[in-house]
Amino acid sequence: MPMNLFTRKKEASGSSPAVMKKRPFVPAERPKLSNDPLVRAMQARRFGAILKGRAKWVDHPDFKKTYDAAQDLLDAYFAMTPEGYVSIVMSIFDEPGAPERDVETEPFLLARYAVTNADYQYFVDDDGYDNLELWPEDIWPHLIDFKDITEEPGPRLWEKGRHHRDLADHPVVGVCYYEAAAYAKWAGYRLPTEAEWQMAATWRIRSSAHVNRRYPWGDALDSKFCNIWAAGLGGAMPVNACPGGAAPNGVLQLIGNTWEWTDSDFEAVDRDGRPVMGDTLLKVIRGGAFDTYFPWQAVSNFRSGMGAVARRHNVGFRCAIDIPES
Amino acid sequence: MAKNLINNPKRAACLICETPNPPDAVLCTECSAPMALVYEARAQEHEPQMVSILGDSNVGKTVYLGFLLDMLSQRANDFEAVPRGAYSVDLQQTVVSHMAYRMFPPKTPMELDEWKWTYYQVCKRGGGAKWIDLLMPDMAGEAIAAEVASPSTFRIIQNLLHKSSGLLLLVDAALAANGSSQPDFFALKMMSYIDTLFVCKRGAKIGMPIAVVLTKADYCPECFDDPARFAEANLNRLWNLCETRFSRVGFFAASVVGSLAYATAGGDDVVTPVPLHTALRGVLEPFEWLVDQV
Repeated sequence: MPMNLFTRKKEASGSSPAVMKKRPFVPAERPKLSNDPLVRAMQARRFGAILKGRAKWVDHPDFKKTYDAAQDLLDAYFAMTPEGYVSIVMSIFDEPGAPERDVETEPFLLARYAVTNADYQYFVDDDGYDNLELWPEDIWPHLIDFKDITEEPGPRLWEKGRHHRDLADHPVVGVCYYEAAAYAKWAGYRLPTEAEWQMAATWRIRSSAHVNRRYPWGDALDSKFCNIWAAGLGGAMPVNACPGGAAPNGVLQLIGNTWEWTDSDFEAVDRDGRPVMGDTLLKVIRGGAFDTYFPWQAVSNFRSGMGAVARRHNVGFRCAIDIPES
Repeated sequence: MAKNLINNPKRAACLICETPNPPDAVLCTECSAPMALVYEARAQEHEPQMVSILGDSNVGKTVYLGFLLDMLSQRANDFEAVPRGAYSVDLQQTVVSHMAYRMFPPKTPMELDEWKWTYYQVCKRGGGAKWIDLLMPDMAGEAIAAEVASPSTFRIIQNLLHKSSGLLLLVDAALAANGSSQPDFFALKMMSYIDTLFVCKRGAKIGMPIAVVLTKADYCPECFDDPARFAEANLNRLWNLCETRFSRVGFFAASVVGSLAYATAGGDDVVTPVPLHTALRGVLEPFEWLVDQV
């Protein structure tokens, strides 16, 4: 449906903004999971964990079949991002002459979609918050703060450890950097670095064409291709919305819907060269969100920082993984 | 009365303080309000409704008002807004151009002739849309504080409040959530000042609609979950006075800055706050409520 160019509405038909509308909470049902850990890992889409845990499961009677299936599904859920190079603006003012850092990136796999509430539910149900191996030791004292609004372990906006039934395919939000990283580790993945994220969005592959896309789909903003404030939806959309905004490899919603945590620390200077820091450690977030007001703050090379323990309603994440050895 | 104020070609009376001014005056000789307001009101053939934005220094009045106007002029939430006069656009332009470059706009100076005034015609489309003329000045927090502490120091504020159809009272939720009693005390003083300004019969409550906007709410996300509950818990003095003396008070949470950082060098005393990105939340809702009320 074409967007009404002259009126910004809270909600457009066919979308289901997560934030704007206060809806009565309907908890998602508990998924029926197998008792078999390998099957359960498949059900929870922990394909990375299966591929990396070969030694652990090699004696399982269905290992070969499951392993092959995990490899196929990894191909379906992740997309190859070729090697390339990016220039990361190190000043908070992106203007000619601003200091830049050039980074070469290796080929890697990036999730086509952001992690959804349904995906994250598996992690919560698998007692991910109690599994200390997934968390850096210095964060253990903070784990008690990573609660939902009913004081159960889980994203900040969940209730009783469950996501809203209608938001299963929406990006999980209200998680801090450490929760995002713990999920990725549990599932056998990792968070992308900001250079990898920027490479996927700018598609600056090594070629004589010197492509450096402002948006994953090209150089012009189109509010049908991304969910930022100008789109007028007022909330997040399902992770598979806006197919026109895909990067050349099919990765969706790098721009808009929710900011995405990266694995990189935020380092920047102001015009006078003074370092820009937060009250606490800042991690780089990328891509902008449904409430990003200035369109130029939701472009491929725009970087912002967020306190690593902040659990915002507009910050989610997607996973990455090194290309598995064949 | 209104017709007399705006239709006398020889003695243009200021819209705010009603002081007669020479016809060529640019600013009111008494209160420094722009006389363009009078000429605009004259063109519209009626006095505009006034909405005052109050709050302590650094609470975010300028940024809030600037973005509110910018959202309205971009037709957010079915609103339509037309600036009446180029001077009305100055504030939003200043705010937007600074925030876009990750800087906060300069502090509003105490000097009356430096204040930015905005005169907008606003309409909510659908359901018998009706245009309302709104006059919203951006006042300096220090001036408001001085007036509250010693009434008549800034008479223009008193006059404005007398003429206002509704108020937006901005309170720093981040400070309140951090345990500071300053926001609560300032808001209490402000409401007490308003209470004495609109003398009512004993026991009668003041009916002017007041939207209490908890700003910087991104620092305390629970504020968005239930602003009234947050106010009751963290701004209890204000909450009690509102309940006792005012009949139409709404509590709202708002934030503009998506993430805040600071630029500083080692041994440097100057710490500059840097809004890393802008993410508007809850800016329009209090205004929408207020427009419905007035």
